[in-house]
Amino acid sequence: MAREHGAKRRPGGTGRVNIPGLSTMAALVGLWELAVRSATVELEFLPAPSGIAGAVATLVATGELFPPLLHTLRAALVGWVAAGALGIGLGVVLGLSRPAWRYSMASIEVVRAIPPVSLVPVALLLFGFSLRMELLVIVYAGAWTVLVSTVEGVRNLRPELADVGRMLRMSKATAVRKLVLPSAMPSIVVGLRLALSLSLVLAVVAEMVGNPRGLGNALIRAQQALQPEQTFAYVVTIGLLGVVLNAGLRRMSARALPALAAGRGELA
Amino acid sequence: MTVATDVREAAPPATPAAAARGPVVCHCRDLTVELGSSEGPRRVLEGITADLREGELVSILGRSGTGKTTLLRVLGGLVDPAPGSQVGFRGQPLDGPPEEAAFVFQDYTASLLPWRTVEKNVALGLEGKASKGEIRRRVADALETVGLAERARDYPWRLSGGMQQRVQLARGLAMDARVLLMDEPFGALDAMTKASLQDELQRVHQQRKPTIAFVTHDVDEAVYLSDRILVLGGSPATIVRDIPVELPRPRDQLATKELPQFHRLRRIVFDEIRAHHG
Amino acid sequence: MTAATRAPAPHPPADAGDVRPPLPRRGRWDGQARRAPALPPLGGLLPLGALLLAWELRGSPGSPYFPPPTTWVDGLGALWTSGRLWPATHQTLSTFAVALAVATLLGALLGLLLGASAKADRAFGPTLEFLRAMPPAAVVPVAALLLGYGATMKAAVVTLAAIWPVLLSTRSGVRAIDPVLLDMARSLRLSALQRARHCVVPALLPSIFLGVRVAAPVALVITMLVEIVTRIDGIGALIATAQRSYLSGQVYGLILVAGLFSFLVNGLVSVAQAYAFRNRPNR
Repeated sequence: MAREHGAKRRPGGTGRVNIPGLSTMAALVGLWELAVRSATVELEFLPAPSGIAGAVATLVATGELFPPLLHTLRAALVGWVAAGALGIGLGVVLGLSRPAWRYSMASIEVVRAIPPVSLVPVALLLFGFSLRMELLVIVYAGAWTVLVSTVEGVRNLRPELADVGRMLRMSKATAVRKLVLPSAMPSIVVGLRLALSLSLVLAVVAEMVGNPRGLGNALIRAQQALQPEQTFAYVVTIGLLGVVLNAGLRRMSARALPALAAGRGELA
Repeated sequence: MTVATDVREAAPPATPAAAARGPVVCHCRDLTVELGSSEGPRRVLEGITADLREGELVSILGRSGTGKTTLLRVLGGLVDPAPGSQVGFRGQPLDGPPEEAAFVFQDYTASLLPWRTVEKNVALGLEGKASKGEIRRRVADALETVGLAERARDYPWRLSGGMQQRVQLARGLAMDARVLLMDEPFGALDAMTKASLQDELQRVHQQRKPTIAFVTHDVDEAVYLSDRILVLGGSPATIVRDIPVELPRPRDQLATKELPQFHRLRRIVFDEIRAHHG
Repeated sequence: MTAATRAPAPHPPADAGDVRPPLPRRGRWDGQARRAPALPPLGGLLPLGALLLAWELRGSPGSPYFPPPTTWVDGLGALWTSGRLWPATHQTLSTFAVALAVATLLGALLGLLLGASAKADRAFGPTLEFLRAMPPAAVVPVAALLLGYGATMKAAVVTLAAIWPVLLSTRSGVRAIDPVLLDMARSLRLSALQRARHCVVPALLPSIFLGVRVAAPVALVITMLVEIVTRIDGIGALIATAQRSYLSGQVYGLILVAGLFSFLVNGLVSVAQAYAFRNRPNR
């Protein structure tokens, strides 16, 4: 820990290619490969990385990967958009109207305390094994997340900006449009990002438990067929999907809100 | 205009110089203000009677916490006075922020919209009230006046504190505000930036002759800039003294501050403040 | 002279303008609270209460979809008397507790390592980021393959999920340690162990605690997730079983229990945090 006095610690990586990082990862993967091949690690069903890579390649080549991938992607995105619309719509109303907020927030907090995962069985009760069940869970969970973030963003308008609005004698509608909503955007975007990860996770869970399609379902089937390479391959796919979606959302929000992204680093 | 005349007649005895100045723009009679706090309502201002005349630059001076900002906010229609007070703009009782007045806030970063460029920030007060071409012209004019024409497309967070404050000023100028209410606008700036902005404000005042009410706790600044200083003191605060500042214009940071008259006025103001300990 | 004899005025806030006026008669459209209260107003429970009441009155007890609240209690009662509710509760909570403890320990150690050594951070960073991106739900089948269906597998998955908040929080806590603190310790010639015990660990405790605070709900949720998906044991398994038997009242009742756990866990962590840091300045 010897450093210059007063120097601030920099997080690892300077934005250039992280050579130590990538080589460590490669080294670990190599070790894994060796361990499996030489049977030093006695874990039944542990596949070698080469096997996993092969399985991924096969799934892509035969096209077997794409139907479940598209199903999950579609469910997650559709659910997310619906959750976002519901959450933002309701959130703005609750954020702007003091009485509405007072007479609903506590209920919302209580309902929110119930983990969305435990609602999968309820959704099964209601809709059986279907896409609708999946969407119900996704929209339900995502909407609360977005709602809470939106309410917070709307309510936390800086008092100085409220003063500016009054000084300029803006009508309520104008003030909402020009001051409240733009100022709430960072908060709303955070909520949307959380909701997106949540949507993907819940889609997979719902598919694992009750939908005969999608990546979650394929994953379970590979596991139950005792196909470790394929199982891992699906896990990797799901992980990558999450990374790509998140990165995509981040790029889009950085482009749509340049002023906030660059200046305040909250969205970075 | 009869109301305005009434107001002038009811005004406190004015100095000979004041009589030569323009009509009263803002006025308050027996102004009392109570604010809510965690311990219950607190009387911040009491019995304030004052006039602001057209084209004047008036400082509201006092120690921190005396209620200078509150007084300014009352004049700007942002705070309601207690019943029994009279506050008026151009003779009419005040009902919300007056159309012709622009408020310049102390926290410039917080009162600029971070998601708009400088020019769009300056345009905020004009949107919906003029044609696009007209808005563009007035914004460009205002930015030119404050010297920020080249930074029009930047976002506020890229600008220094002094520049951000100038953006706020430009916003008021673009609105062609005849009254500028400024709340310690230069308080957070370093000495050199403060000096240059003071002179810029002077220049704007010479050119366009708006009425300016200027809150500050800096005695030198008050004496340097104003035509008149209202000293606030006591708790609840009242106007302790109304000091006319008759220094020649245009004023200069060095020359004016060497005049014996400047020092005399400084002393008078300091004595008043010290005599009314908070 | 007169000034000196007057009593000093009471301390006003920095500027009287900071004190916000009561609602002006024109009405405020910004509709916000100046300071967000710690808990939302209790009046907000009204819609929930009304909903439950309406549900109770209008719902039909036999409905497989929306059984009224009394059936929930009945369902739970049945589980209690058949002696299955308590063991399940115990299984869920013990998995949660063990996994959280392990996650805290591992997360703190790893976080300390990564925060202290920029090199280690660079080297292991990408690998850890990759592992973090794996959703715990997807990890369950893998864990099942490797570790079978049992308590070990449950704990492993939950630990894996709960480790990240602690790790990240500790890591940034280490980075934020004031270098003056370490210089001071060195100038007093404290041994490395003393330094660690008296300076580093206490300085890190708030960050670790913050990590645990975030990790606890995560651990609970993932525990339930694993139980629902694999039906090994615990409350989650009971929910899944009840759902398959169409005992909808029981399902809702158990979900209520899950929510209650969640609420309790959050509350306990808050209380523990407040107690542990009662003497520290408010951030």
